[in-house]
Amino acid sequence: MENKEIILSVRDLNVKFSLRGKVLHAIRGIGMDLYKGESLAIVGESGSGKSVLTKNFIGLLDNNGWIDSGEILYYGMDPQHPVDLAKLKTDEEWRDIRGKHVAMVMQDPMTSLNPLKTIGWQIGEALKLHQNLRGEAARKKAIDILSDVGIPEPERRYSQYPHEFSGGMRQRVVIAIAMACNPRILVCDEPTTALDVTIQAQILHLIKELKEKYALTTIYITHDLGVVANVADRIAVMYAGDIVEVGCADEVFYDPRHPYTWALLSSLPQLGIKGRDLYSIKGTPPNLFHPIRGDAFAARNPQALKIDFLHRPPYFEISATHKARTWLLDPRAPKVDPPEHIKNIRNIRKNMTGGQCNG
Amino acid sequence: MLKYSLMRLARSVLTLVILITVIFILLRQMPVEGYFTNFEKMSPTAIDVGLRKLGLKDPLHIQIGRYFLKLLQGDFGVSFRYRVNYPIAQLIWPKMLVSMKFGLTSMVLSLPLGMALGVLMVRGKGRLADKLGNAYIVFIEAVPNAVYFIFIQLYGSSWFDLSILYKAEEWTSMILPVISLALPSISGYAMWLRRYMVDEMNKDYIKLARAKGVPSSAIWFRHVFRNSVVPMVNLIPGSLLLTISGSIYVESLYSVPGMGGLLVDVIKRQDNYMVLALIVIFSSLSILGLLLGDLLMGVVDPRISFAKKEGSR
Repeated sequence: MENKEIILSVRDLNVKFSLRGKVLHAIRGIGMDLYKGESLAIVGESGSGKSVLTKNFIGLLDNNGWIDSGEILYYGMDPQHPVDLAKLKTDEEWRDIRGKHVAMVMQDPMTSLNPLKTIGWQIGEALKLHQNLRGEAARKKAIDILSDVGIPEPERRYSQYPHEFSGGMRQRVVIAIAMACNPRILVCDEPTTALDVTIQAQILHLIKELKEKYALTTIYITHDLGVVANVADRIAVMYAGDIVEVGCADEVFYDPRHPYTWALLSSLPQLGIKGRDLYSIKGTPPNLFHPIRGDAFAARNPQALKIDFLHRPPYFEISATHKARTWLLDPRAPKVDPPEHIKNIRNIRKNMTGGQCNG
Repeated sequence: MLKYSLMRLARSVLTLVILITVIFILLRQMPVEGYFTNFEKMSPTAIDVGLRKLGLKDPLHIQIGRYFLKLLQGDFGVSFRYRVNYPIAQLIWPKMLVSMKFGLTSMVLSLPLGMALGVLMVRGKGRLADKLGNAYIVFIEAVPNAVYFIFIQLYGSSWFDLSILYKAEEWTSMILPVISLALPSISGYAMWLRRYMVDEMNKDYIKLARAKGVPSSAIWFRHVFRNSVVPMVNLIPGSLLLTISGSIYVESLYSVPGMGGLLVDVIKRQDNYMVLALIVIFSSLSILGLLLGDLLMGVVDPRISFAKKEGSR
């Protein structure tokens, strides 16, 4: 892990939104590193700030949002002199980053394509911008990419319109457009949420394949832990605008430490205990319009300590790659046992071999 | 496409035939005094003879058949009261040309201006340009246009030394009426284009286009504007054709010898053949406008297909 090259580094990022005259603190001091060639999954419930966090990497924060403080250092252009993406403001300044360095696959393929342009045109638009290809060369390249993303009969499909494609095929086209940009980092914002379950696996497989082929760094945003298990090298768990636990996929899955991660995993139907109600997290996420004191999850955590309500926990390192923000890891904390479900997972792990983080 | 157009055309003609028949029958239920100039002094026998001479005592289906036959030859019959025994076609044609001259000039002006205003408002959404544009639209929509038409006529003619009434031989006398006609159209085009553009610019594909690094000018022009014009295209043939119907207010203010108000006039005077003729003209143009609008949509929007559905894959 130490010899891994950092491609993107977020430092103490704070993002705020102005909503109905009030200020919402959406990202509360996040720090994280993204390593070159890895595949990071960001998980968390709706409203935890997963999308907001990654929108900052491509400058597409909604107009009423702004970066209050912090840095987003991008090392992909010149490893010695990183660019601070948090400083970029206008579309003009973002032009060199968007597409060329960071591309995005969005959630809903049904609405992500311009309905009045052929898909060939839409891929060509990216090719012209980022690979300076036009005319016949662009057409050839676009057809190559289409067959790359697994669209049959690419020559015929090239001149068709989005409405002539099914949902899964459209998502492939969206991915083809991202690939036409030839990016370094691919952000996949819930790429399979809007798709049929049978198609989901195909799309995930495709992204994984392209990642290997083009040495992409990928970020998956998802609330589907099944997706995570399939594709992620590392997992970052977000809650209320903060990363509460981050580690290699196996570490977070089989040895979770933060009570929120416990609760999240316990809610998985696959881990339910037969004959008992499925676990669900009580309460609602905190209101980000108000400042949060202590651990944001404390109010919903049945095993919360007194200090959880008073002071925000720092990160405690469990291993070189695994850290969590919870007072439970403080040496002075009482021993709190994880819920039964989590113990079951740990047992599964004992029967497994390997599972090392290879980032 | 051709097959579809012919089908639509056939259906439009059928609609028109039904419509004319219904109106014809309804107008026959009106009092008969409209067919004579000195009805009050006529004896019942004289009226009966008169009606017979006009063929109005024949069975209804024969009357209708006769009307359609004449219509096919381009003969609308004669006016009974508006201008006694004057052929309707010759009466209406010059009026249509005058109204069209005003209507087309104002449309040629207001379409680009209205679209430009709409684009300006969206580009500066929520800022000064948008607010001014909105104020203008609200003013036009809320204030009855007769009010500002009078101001335009009075102040316009005195400040710029323009003729207060329309004179066919003086083209400058067209300026004030054309401005009056254009003001509401500009507001309409601006309002709709702004609305469609706001709709488009919040769509996901615009976000994807931005994410792939398309410069904002290209996003505005190639994606947002291009896609917003499509729904407007549908309306253009209709408004183009109906310029011949003229405007009651503007034409009466400037005493333009156009079509504006003619329909109301002839209905009041019970000039049944005139009423019929105007309805035939206006409805055929409306139906044709709709048809052309739909066909044009098919040209600019690939999602609209006139062929049998193949089913998407």
